Amino acid sequence: SLDFKTGNNNPRYPWIRNNDHSKQIEISDWLTMEIKDFIKYISPSAEEIQARNNTVGRLRECITGMWPDAEVHCFGSFATDLYLPGSDIDMVVVSKARNNKYDNRSSLYQLSSYIRNNKLGINVETIAKAKVPIIKFVDPATKIHIDISFERTNGIKAAELIISWIKDTPGLRELVLIVKQFLAVRRLNVVHTGGLGGFATICLVRSFLKLHPRMATRSIDPLENLGVLLIEFFELYGYNFGYDNTVVAFDEDGDPYYVSKNSNAAFQNRNPFTLAIQDPHDKNNNISRGTFNLRDIKRAFGGAFELLVNKCYDMNQATYKERLGQSVLGDIIKYKGKQRDFEDA
Amino acid sequence: NQCKQRRKFNFCTDCNSKTHSADRCPNIWRSYITLPQNKAHKFKYPADLIYCYNCAERGHYGDECLQQRVSKTPNINGSAFTGENLPRELRRQYHS
Ligand SMILES: [Zn+2]
Ligand SMILES: [Zn+2]
Repeated sequence: SLDFKTGNNNPRYPWIRNNDHSKQIEISDWLTMEIKDFIKYISPSAEEIQARNNTVGRLRECITGMWPDAEVHCFGSFATDLYLPGSDIDMVVVSKARNNKYDNRSSLYQLSSYIRNNKLGINVETIAKAKVPIIKFVDPATKIHIDISFERTNGIKAAELIISWIKDTPGLRELVLIVKQFLAVRRLNVVHTGGLGGFATICLVRSFLKLHPRMATRSIDPLENLGVLLIEFFELYGYNFGYDNTVVAFDEDGDPYYVSKNSNAAFQNRNPFTLAIQDPHDKNNNISRGTFNLRDIKRAFGGAFELLVNKCYDMNQATYKERLGQSVLGDIIKYKGKQRDFEDA
Repeated sequence: NQCKQRRKFNFCTDCNSKTHSADRCPNIWRSYITLPQNKAHKFKYPADLIYCYNCAERGHYGDECLQQRVSKTPNINGSAFTGENLPRELRRQYHS
Protein backbone atom coordinates (compact mmCIF):
# COMPACT_ATOMS: atom_id res chain seq x y z
CA SER A 1 0.00 0.00 0.00
CA LEU A 2 1.18 3.49 -0.72
CA ASP A 3 1.88 5.99 1.96
CA PHE A 4 -0.03 8.65 0.10
CA LYS A 5 0.81 12.31 0.63
CA THR A 6 0.06 15.25 -1.60
CA GLY A 7 2.38 18.08 -2.49
CA ASN A 8 6.13 17.94 -2.49
CA ASN A 9 6.61 19.40 0.96
CA ASN A 10 6.62 16.12 2.78
CA PRO A 11 8.43 17.03 6.01
CA ARG A 12 9.82 13.53 6.38
CA TYR A 13 12.07 14.01 3.37
CA PRO A 14 13.31 17.62 3.48
CA TRP A 15 15.70 17.06 0.57
CA ILE A 16 12.84 16.55 -1.90
CA ARG A 17 11.47 20.04 -1.19
CA ASN A 18 11.18 21.85 -4.52
CA ASN A 19 12.93 18.90 -6.18
CA ASP A 20 10.17 16.68 -7.44
CA HIS A 21 11.39 13.82 -9.63
CA SER A 22 8.25 11.73 -9.49
CA LYS A 23 7.68 12.21 -13.23
CA GLN A 24 10.82 10.21 -14.07
CA ILE A 25 9.84 7.23 -16.17
CA GLU A 26 12.64 5.05 -14.81
CA ILE A 27 12.50 4.70 -11.04
CA SER A 28 16.27 4.27 -10.83
CA ASP A 29 16.70 7.70 -12.46
CA TRP A 30 14.35 9.12 -9.86
CA LEU A 31 16.51 7.55 -7.13
CA THR A 32 19.70 8.88 -8.76
CA MET A 33 18.31 12.43 -8.67
CA GLU A 34 17.18 12.02 -5.09
CA ILE A 35 20.67 10.87 -4.06
CA LYS A 36 22.14 13.99 -5.67
CA ASP A 37 19.57 16.20 -3.90
CA PHE A 38 20.22 14.49 -0.59
CA ILE A 39 23.97 15.07 -0.92
CA LYS A 40 23.39 18.69 -1.79
CA TYR A 41 21.08 18.98 1.21
CA ILE A 42 23.52 17.53 3.76
CA SER A 43 26.56 19.28 2.31
CA PRO A 44 27.78 22.10 4.53
CA SER A 45 27.25 25.68 3.45
CA ALA A 46 30.18 27.95 2.64
CA GLU A 47 29.79 29.51 6.11
CA GLU A 48 29.90 26.13 7.82
CA ILE A 49 33.02 25.14 5.90
CA GLN A 50 34.61 28.47 6.83
CA ALA A 51 33.71 27.99 10.50
CA ARG A 52 35.24 24.49 10.53
CA ASN A 53 38.40 25.72 8.83
CA ASN A 54 38.69 28.60 11.30
CA THR A 55 38.40 26.19 14.23
CA VAL A 56 41.14 23.96 12.82
CA GLY A 57 43.37 26.92 11.96
CA ARG A 58 43.04 28.44 15.44
CA LEU A 59 43.90 25.14 17.15
CA ARG A 60 46.85 24.55 14.86
CA GLU A 61 48.20 28.03 15.60
CA CYS A 62 47.85 27.57 19.36
CA ILE A 63 49.45 24.10 19.42
CA THR A 64 52.40 24.99 17.21
CA GLY A 65 52.78 28.21 19.23
CA MET A 66 53.25 26.09 22.34
CA TRP A 67 55.30 23.38 20.57
CA PRO A 68 57.16 24.92 17.59
CA ASP A 69 58.69 21.56 16.57
CA ALA A 70 55.23 19.98 16.16
CA GLU A 71 52.91 19.66 13.17
CA VAL A 72 49.14 19.42 13.42
CA HIS A 73 47.32 17.34 10.82
CA CYS A 74 43.68 16.52 10.18
CA PHE A 75 42.60 13.05 9.14
CA GLY A 76 39.32 11.15 9.00
CA SER A 77 36.18 12.42 7.33
CA PHE A 78 37.05 16.09 7.77
CA ALA A 79 40.31 15.70 5.82
CA THR A 80 38.67 13.68 3.03
CA ASP A 81 35.54 15.82 2.69
CA LEU A 82 33.35 12.81 3.52
CA TYR A 83 31.82 14.21 6.68
CA LEU A 84 28.17 14.36 7.57
CA PRO A 85 26.71 17.33 9.45
CA GLY A 86 27.76 16.95 13.07
CA SER A 87 30.75 14.71 12.33
CA ASP A 88 33.81 14.98 14.58
CA ILE A 89 37.07 16.58 13.51
CA ASP A 90 40.05 14.24 13.98
CA MET A 91 43.42 15.89 14.54
CA VAL A 92 46.85 14.50 15.31
CA VAL A 93 49.96 16.16 16.74
CA VAL A 94 53.18 14.86 15.17
CA SER A 95 56.76 15.92 15.92
CA LYS A 96 58.44 17.37 12.84
CA ALA A 97 61.45 15.14 13.44
CA ARG A 98 59.11 12.09 13.52
CA ASN A 99 60.75 11.00 16.78
CA ASN A 100 57.52 10.33 18.73
CA LYS A 101 58.43 13.18 21.06
CA TYR A 102 54.78 13.87 21.88
CA ASP A 103 53.75 10.27 22.38
CA ASN A 104 53.56 10.41 26.20
CA ARG A 105 51.25 11.26 29.07
CA SER A 106 52.87 14.56 29.96
CA SER A 107 52.23 15.95 26.45
CA LEU A 108 48.67 14.70 26.66
CA TYR A 109 48.04 16.45 29.98
CA GLN A 110 49.97 19.57 28.98
CA LEU A 111 47.80 20.06 25.90
CA SER A 112 44.53 19.26 27.65
CA SER A 113 45.14 21.83 30.38
CA TYR A 114 46.24 24.35 27.75
CA ILE A 115 42.94 23.81 25.91
CA ARG A 116 40.97 24.11 29.14
CA ASN A 117 42.85 27.17 30.45
CA ASN A 118 42.67 29.08 27.19
CA LYS A 119 38.98 28.22 26.69
CA LEU A 120 39.75 26.57 23.34
CA GLY A 121 37.36 23.78 24.20
CA ILE A 122 34.51 22.88 26.50
CA ASN A 123 33.82 19.47 28.09
CA VAL A 124 37.52 18.64 27.79
CA GLU A 125 38.17 14.94 28.46
CA THR A 126 41.60 13.37 28.61
CA ILE A 127 41.58 9.68 27.81
CA ALA A 128 45.03 8.45 28.77
CA LYS A 129 44.44 4.75 29.28
CA ALA A 130 43.10 3.90 25.80
CA LYS A 131 45.16 2.11 23.16
CA VAL A 132 45.27 5.46 21.38
CA PRO A 133 45.31 8.17 24.10
CA ILE A 134 43.27 11.20 23.04
CA ILE A 135 41.88 14.53 24.16
CA LYS A 136 38.20 15.03 23.39
CA PHE A 137 36.45 18.36 23.58
CA VAL A 138 33.80 20.55 22.00
CA ASP A 139 34.69 23.66 20.03
CA PRO A 140 32.92 26.57 21.76
CA ALA A 141 32.23 28.43 18.49
CA THR A 142 30.85 25.66 16.27
CA LYS A 143 29.93 23.02 18.93
CA ILE A 144 31.82 20.49 16.81
CA HIS A 145 33.41 17.56 18.66
CA ILE A 146 37.17 17.39 18.27
CA ASP A 147 39.54 14.48 18.98
CA ILE A 148 43.29 15.08 19.22
CA SER A 149 45.73 12.15 19.20
CA PHE A 150 49.53 12.08 19.21
CA GLU A 151 52.18 10.74 16.84
CA ARG A 152 49.82 8.40 14.96
CA THR A 153 50.49 8.82 11.27
CA ASN A 154 48.26 5.94 10.02
CA GLY A 155 45.27 8.23 9.80
CA ILE A 156 47.16 10.80 7.74
CA LYS A 157 48.32 8.10 5.32
CA ALA A 158 44.79 6.70 5.04
CA ALA A 159 43.38 10.18 4.37
CA GLU A 160 45.87 10.71 1.53
CA LEU A 161 44.86 7.37 0.01
CA ILE A 162 41.14 8.15 0.31
CA ILE A 163 41.61 11.55 -1.35
CA SER A 164 43.34 9.85 -4.31
CA TRP A 165 40.58 7.21 -4.49
CA ILE A 166 37.85 9.85 -4.58
CA LYS A 167 39.67 11.48 -7.50
CA ASP A 168 40.02 8.26 -9.48
CA THR A 169 36.60 6.74 -8.67
CA PRO A 170 33.64 8.92 -9.64
CA GLY A 171 30.55 7.98 -7.64
CA LEU A 172 32.62 6.88 -4.63
CA ARG A 173 32.01 10.05 -2.65
CA GLU A 174 28.27 10.06 -3.32
CA LEU A 175 27.67 6.41 -2.42
CA VAL A 176 29.92 6.61 0.65
CA LEU A 177 27.98 9.60 2.00
CA ILE A 178 24.65 7.79 1.56
CA VAL A 179 25.92 4.53 3.12
CA LYS A 180 27.53 6.44 6.00
CA GLN A 181 24.28 8.28 6.73
CA PHE A 182 22.38 4.98 6.47
CA LEU A 183 24.72 3.37 9.02
CA ALA A 184 24.83 6.43 11.30
CA VAL A 185 21.04 6.51 11.72
CA ARG A 186 21.18 2.87 12.84
CA ARG A 187 24.23 3.44 15.08
CA LEU A 188 26.06 0.84 13.01
CA ASN A 189 28.96 3.19 12.23
CA VAL A 190 30.60 3.08 15.65
CA VAL A 191 33.62 0.79 15.59
CA HIS A 192 33.89 0.24 19.34
CA THR A 193 30.38 -1.22 19.38
CA GLY A 194 31.18 -3.53 16.46
CA GLY A 195 30.01 -1.22 13.70
CA LEU A 196 31.48 -0.40 10.32
CA GLY A 197 34.00 2.46 10.40
CA GLY A 198 34.45 5.15 7.79
CA PHE A 199 37.53 3.67 6.14
CA ALA A 200 35.98 0.19 5.96
CA THR A 201 32.85 1.70 4.39
CA ILE A 202 34.99 3.45 1.77
CA CYS A 203 36.84 0.19 1.01
CA LEU A 204 33.55 -1.71 0.52
CA VAL A 205 32.06 0.94 -1.78
CA ARG A 206 35.23 1.28 -3.84
CA SER A 207 35.67 -2.47 -4.24
CA PHE A 208 32.00 -2.77 -5.28
CA LEU A 209 32.33 0.03 -7.85
CA LYS A 210 35.62 -1.12 -9.37
CA LEU A 211 34.61 -4.80 -9.70
CA HIS A 212 31.09 -4.09 -11.00
CA PRO A 213 30.88 -5.52 -14.56
CA ARG A 214 29.41 -2.32 -16.01
CA MET A 215 32.04 -0.19 -14.28
CA ALA A 216 34.96 -2.51 -15.07
CA THR A 217 34.11 -2.25 -18.77
CA ARG A 218 33.46 1.48 -18.57
CA SER A 219 30.03 1.07 -20.11
CA ILE A 220 28.28 3.39 -17.64
CA ASP A 221 28.93 6.74 -15.98
CA PRO A 222 28.46 6.06 -12.25
CA LEU A 223 27.14 9.56 -11.59
CA GLU A 224 24.27 8.91 -14.00
CA ASN A 225 23.54 5.55 -12.33
CA LEU A 226 23.80 6.24 -8.60
CA GLY A 227 20.30 4.86 -7.96
CA VAL A 228 20.78 1.40 -9.42
CA LEU A 229 24.34 1.26 -8.03
CA LEU A 230 23.12 2.02 -4.50
CA ILE A 231 20.56 -0.79 -4.73
CA GLU A 232 23.25 -3.13 -6.07
CA PHE A 233 25.64 -2.17 -3.27
CA PHE A 234 22.99 -3.33 -0.77
CA GLU A 235 22.33 -6.41 -2.92
CA LEU A 236 26.00 -7.44 -2.82
CA TYR A 237 26.75 -6.88 0.86
CA GLY A 238 23.24 -7.61 2.17
CA TYR A 239 22.62 -10.81 0.23
CA ASN A 240 25.38 -12.33 -1.82
CA PHE A 241 28.82 -11.60 -0.42
CA GLY A 242 30.50 -14.75 0.95
CA TYR A 243 31.78 -13.21 4.18
CA ASP A 244 32.96 -16.59 5.56
CA ASN A 245 35.30 -17.02 2.64
CA THR A 246 36.11 -13.78 0.87
CA VAL A 247 38.53 -10.99 1.77
CA VAL A 248 38.28 -7.55 0.13
CA ALA A 249 41.89 -6.78 -0.80
CA PHE A 250 43.85 -4.09 -2.65
CA ASP A 251 46.99 -4.47 -4.75
CA GLU A 252 50.00 -2.11 -4.85
CA ASP A 253 48.12 0.24 -7.18
CA GLY A 254 45.13 0.27 -4.87
CA ASP A 255 43.04 -1.80 -7.29
CA PRO A 256 40.61 -4.08 -5.47
CA TYR A 257 40.41 -7.85 -5.77
CA TYR A 258 39.12 -10.74 -3.71
CA VAL A 259 41.23 -13.32 -1.99
CA SER A 260 40.22 -16.36 0.05
CA LYS A 261 40.56 -16.15 3.83
CA ASN A 262 42.51 -19.41 3.69
CA SER A 263 45.40 -17.60 2.04
CA ASN A 264 46.37 -15.58 5.10
CA ALA A 265 46.21 -16.45 8.80
CA ALA A 266 45.58 -12.78 9.60
CA PHE A 267 42.07 -13.15 8.15
CA GLN A 268 41.07 -16.33 9.93
CA ASN A 269 38.87 -16.11 12.94
CA ARG A 270 37.14 -18.56 15.26
CA ASN A 271 33.86 -17.19 13.92
CA PRO A 272 34.06 -17.48 10.11
CA PHE A 273 31.23 -14.99 9.62
CA THR A 274 33.42 -11.90 10.03
CA LEU A 275 34.17 -9.07 7.66
CA ALA A 276 37.72 -9.10 6.28
CA ILE A 277 39.18 -6.05 4.54
CA GLN A 278 42.90 -6.06 3.88
CA ASP A 279 44.65 -2.86 4.90
CA PRO A 280 45.96 -1.30 1.66
CA HIS A 281 49.11 -0.33 3.59
CA ASP A 282 49.67 -3.61 5.45
CA LYS A 283 48.84 -6.97 3.90
CA ASN A 284 48.60 -8.67 7.30
CA ASN A 285 46.18 -6.24 8.87
CA ASN A 286 42.41 -6.60 8.74
CA ILE A 287 41.06 -3.07 9.01
CA SER A 288 37.56 -4.34 9.88
CA ARG A 289 38.76 -6.53 12.75
CA GLY A 290 36.61 -4.52 15.16
CA THR A 291 33.40 -4.95 13.13
CA PHE A 292 32.05 -7.83 15.23
CA ASN A 293 28.43 -6.88 14.61
CA LEU A 294 28.42 -8.06 11.00
CA ARG A 295 25.11 -9.86 11.49
CA ASP A 296 23.23 -6.59 12.09
CA ILE A 297 25.12 -4.78 9.33
CA LYS A 298 24.35 -7.48 6.77
CA ARG A 299 20.73 -7.57 7.91
CA ALA A 300 20.46 -3.76 7.63
CA PHE A 301 21.95 -3.80 4.11
CA GLY A 302 19.60 -6.62 3.09
CA GLY A 303 16.66 -4.72 4.55
CA ALA A 304 17.65 -1.59 2.64
CA PHE A 305 17.73 -3.62 -0.57
CA GLU A 306 14.23 -4.98 0.13
CA LEU A 307 12.81 -1.56 0.99
CA LEU A 308 14.32 0.12 -2.06
CA VAL A 309 13.24 -2.49 -4.60
CA ASN A 310 9.74 -2.73 -3.10
CA LYS A 311 9.44 1.05 -3.31
CA CYS A 312 10.54 0.85 -6.96
CA TYR A 313 7.88 -1.78 -7.69
CA ASP A 314 5.20 0.28 -5.90
CA MET A 315 6.18 3.52 -7.62
CA ASN A 316 6.35 1.78 -10.98
CA GLN A 317 2.68 0.88 -10.66
CA ALA A 318 1.56 4.14 -9.06
CA THR A 319 -0.11 6.95 -10.96
CA TYR A 320 1.73 10.26 -11.29
CA LYS A 321 -0.68 11.73 -8.76
CA GLU A 322 0.15 9.00 -6.27
CA ARG A 323 3.87 9.48 -6.85
CA LEU A 324 3.79 13.17 -6.02
CA GLY A 325 5.57 13.99 -2.76
CA GLN A 326 6.94 10.46 -2.47
CA SER A 327 10.57 9.70 -1.78
CA VAL A 328 12.33 6.54 -2.92
CA LEU A 329 15.34 7.16 -0.71
CA GLY A 330 13.23 8.21 2.29
CA ASP A 331 12.45 4.64 3.37
CA ILE A 332 16.10 4.00 4.18
CA ILE A 333 17.44 7.44 5.07
CA LYS A 334 16.05 9.49 7.89
CA TYR A 335 17.66 12.83 8.33
CA LYS A 336 17.38 15.18 11.23
CA GLY A 337 19.46 18.07 10.07
CA LYS A 338 20.09 21.72 10.36
CA GLN A 339 16.45 22.55 9.69
CA ARG A 340 15.10 21.68 13.12
CA ASP A 341 11.56 22.57 12.16
CA PHE A 342 11.47 19.30 10.29
CA GLU A 343 10.34 16.43 12.38
CA ASP A 344 12.37 13.27 12.26
CA ALA A 345 10.20 10.26 11.57
CA ASN B 1 -8.23 -21.32 -9.48
CA GLN B 2 -5.22 -21.53 -7.19
CA CYS B 3 -3.21 -22.89 -10.08
CA LYS B 4 -4.00 -19.84 -12.18
CA GLN B 5 -2.91 -17.49 -9.43
CA ARG B 6 0.30 -19.37 -9.00
CA ARG B 7 1.22 -19.12 -12.62
CA LYS B 8 0.60 -15.40 -12.53
CA PHE B 9 2.90 -15.03 -9.52
CA ASN B 10 5.68 -17.13 -10.96
CA PHE B 11 6.03 -15.95 -14.51
CA CYS B 12 7.41 -12.64 -15.75
CA THR B 13 6.09 -11.50 -19.11
CA ASP B 14 8.90 -8.94 -19.28
CA CYS B 15 11.99 -11.14 -18.96
CA ASN B 16 10.44 -14.66 -19.15
CA SER B 17 11.75 -15.47 -15.68
CA LYS B 18 9.89 -18.00 -13.56
CA THR B 19 11.07 -16.48 -10.28
CA HIS B 20 8.87 -13.37 -10.19
CA SER B 21 5.85 -11.70 -11.76
CA ALA B 22 6.12 -8.78 -14.18
CA ASP B 23 5.16 -6.20 -11.54
CA ARG B 24 8.14 -7.32 -9.44
CA CYS B 25 10.66 -7.67 -12.25
CA PRO B 26 14.19 -6.52 -11.32
CA ASN B 27 14.37 -4.88 -14.76
CA ILE B 28 12.11 -2.20 -13.26
CA TRP B 29 15.07 -0.90 -11.24
CA ARG B 30 18.13 -2.60 -12.74
CA SER B 31 18.16 -0.28 -15.72
CA TYR B 32 21.40 1.54 -16.49
CA ILE B 33 21.99 4.69 -18.47
CA THR B 34 24.82 3.42 -20.67
CA LEU B 35 27.47 5.63 -22.22
CA PRO B 36 27.07 6.25 -25.92
CA GLN B 37 29.55 4.05 -27.85
CA ASN B 38 30.64 4.74 -31.38
CA LYS B 39 30.73 1.82 -33.80
CA ALA B 40 34.51 1.52 -33.80
CA HIS B 41 34.61 1.24 -30.01
CA LYS B 42 35.75 -2.10 -28.67
CA PHE B 43 35.22 -3.02 -25.04
CA LYS B 44 38.29 -4.35 -23.28
CA TYR B 45 37.79 -7.62 -21.44
CA PRO B 46 38.28 -6.74 -17.73
CA ALA B 47 40.17 -9.96 -16.89
CA ASP B 48 41.89 -8.51 -13.82
CA LEU B 49 38.59 -7.22 -12.40
CA ILE B 50 36.47 -10.38 -12.63
CA TYR B 51 36.27 -11.92 -9.15
CA CYS B 52 33.77 -14.15 -7.42
CA TYR B 53 32.02 -12.73 -4.32
CA ASN B 54 31.32 -16.31 -3.21
CA CYS B 55 34.59 -18.27 -3.53
CA ALA B 56 36.94 -15.29 -4.09
CA GLU B 57 38.43 -16.92 -7.25
CA ARG B 58 39.35 -14.87 -10.28
CA GLY B 59 37.72 -15.52 -13.66
CA HIS B 60 34.02 -15.74 -12.90
CA TYR B 61 31.37 -13.71 -11.07
CA GLY B 62 29.55 -14.92 -7.98
CA ASP B 63 26.27 -15.58 -9.82
CA GLU B 64 28.07 -18.20 -11.95
CA CYS B 65 30.03 -19.78 -9.08
CA LEU B 66 30.08 -23.56 -9.05
CA GLN B 67 31.10 -23.79 -5.40
CA GLN B 68 28.50 -24.12 -2.69
CA ARG B 69 26.88 -20.79 -1.84
CA VAL B 70 28.38 -19.30 1.31
CA SER B 71 25.72 -16.69 2.08
CA LYS B 72 22.63 -18.00 3.84
CA THR B 73 20.37 -15.48 2.10
CA PRO B 74 19.19 -16.76 -1.29
CA ASN B 75 19.96 -15.18 -4.66
CA ILE B 76 16.67 -15.74 -6.45
CA ASN B 77 16.68 -13.26 -9.31
CA GLY B 78 20.40 -12.95 -10.00
CA SER B 79 22.55 -9.96 -9.13
CA ALA B 80 24.75 -7.30 -10.72
CA PHE B 81 27.73 -9.65 -10.52
CA THR B 82 27.03 -11.91 -13.49
CA GLY B 83 28.55 -12.30 -16.96
CA GLU B 84 25.15 -11.21 -18.27
CA ASN B 85 26.00 -7.72 -17.04
CA LEU B 86 29.02 -7.52 -19.37
CA PRO B 87 28.60 -5.83 -22.76
CA ARG B 88 27.10 -8.31 -25.25
CA GLU B 89 30.30 -8.66 -27.27
CA LEU B 90 32.29 -9.76 -24.20
CA ARG B 91 29.85 -12.41 -23.01
CA ARG B 92 31.12 -15.12 -25.36
CA GLN B 93 34.65 -14.65 -24.05
CA TYR B 94 33.33 -14.81 -20.49
CA HIS B 95 31.48 -18.06 -21.09
CA SER B 96 34.36 -19.73 -22.92
ZN1 LIG C 1 11.23 -10.19 -15.06
ZN1 LIG D 1 33.22 -18.70 -7.35
